[in-house]
Amino acid sequence: MGAFIRWIQRAMMSKEARCKEEERCLELVRLMLDDQATKEDSEYVLKHIDGCYRCYDNYDLEKTIRKAVKSKTKNLEVSNEIVEEIKSKVPI
Amino acid sequence: MEQPADRYSDLEKSDIFNNEFMVHIDALYNFAYKLTLNEDDAKDLLQDTCMKAFRFINSFEQGTNAKAWLFRILKNSFINEYRKKSKNPGMVDYQEVETYYNSDENEGQVQTTPDLRSETVKGMLGDEITNALNSLDVDFKTVIILCDLEGFKYDEMAKILDIPIGTVRSRLHRARNMLKLKLATYAASMGYK
Repeated sequence: MGAFIRWIQRAMMSKEARCKEEERCLELVRLMLDDQATKEDSEYVLKHIDGCYRCYDNYDLEKTIRKAVKSKTKNLEVSNEIVEEIKSKVPI
Repeated sequence: MEQPADRYSDLEKSDIFNNEFMVHIDALYNFAYKLTLNEDDAKDLLQDTCMKAFRFINSFEQGTNAKAWLFRILKNSFINEYRKKSKNPGMVDYQEVETYYNSDENEGQVQTTPDLRSETVKGMLGDEITNALNSLDVDFKTVIILCDLEGFKYDEMAKILDIPIGTVRSRLHRARNMLKLKLATYAASMGYK
């Protein structure tokens, strides 16, 4: 049902259409995705984005950016040479 | 850093270093690389961090959050070096940048962000995401790295960065707005739809 409502909203709303609670909701979305929101805040966000396409879009984008940062940035491994060099310099 | 008198035996020091510190070496190296953007500098920063961690090992309480403790040492080493470099007129003063972004007139920056869609971000290459992240001022980039890449909680980030939790939260919020703006601007310039 929520997805259908969002589809209708998407079809009817222009890109510029704003939600009065967008700023607050975005802050709470970020807290929720960082696993730092209270239970009440998370419940508010989930309920709100179920009926507000604008905020759902923000939520989806925030999630996607986090995933892209995590999965698309280079992840290096320390070579054995560096590990050995460090251990050789530590008096253990 | 205050150094309690010998808290650990040599055997205990060796155990802590090998089993609590070295397990985070890849994460530390990646953090160092993302800060310095240079593999040689990252290696030097990593080595410096490990040396300091061992030197001040008596300040570490065994069984506590070694990763956060090590990240704090690395961040401080980097900042000290960075501050030296920031005497160069070409470098940006971080505090000025944060003051600018914290000012009221820059509130609501997200509202002026060009349109950016999830599908666009999904289609971006790793280099494009990396360049956008690297183009942020170092302390804004740092909070995103600590939170999104290393999974630190706000209270841990506060300890690593030596700032109140409220500042972590607001800095992260602004960092995310700026990253979104960079990605949107880049997407627009590349003709992404």
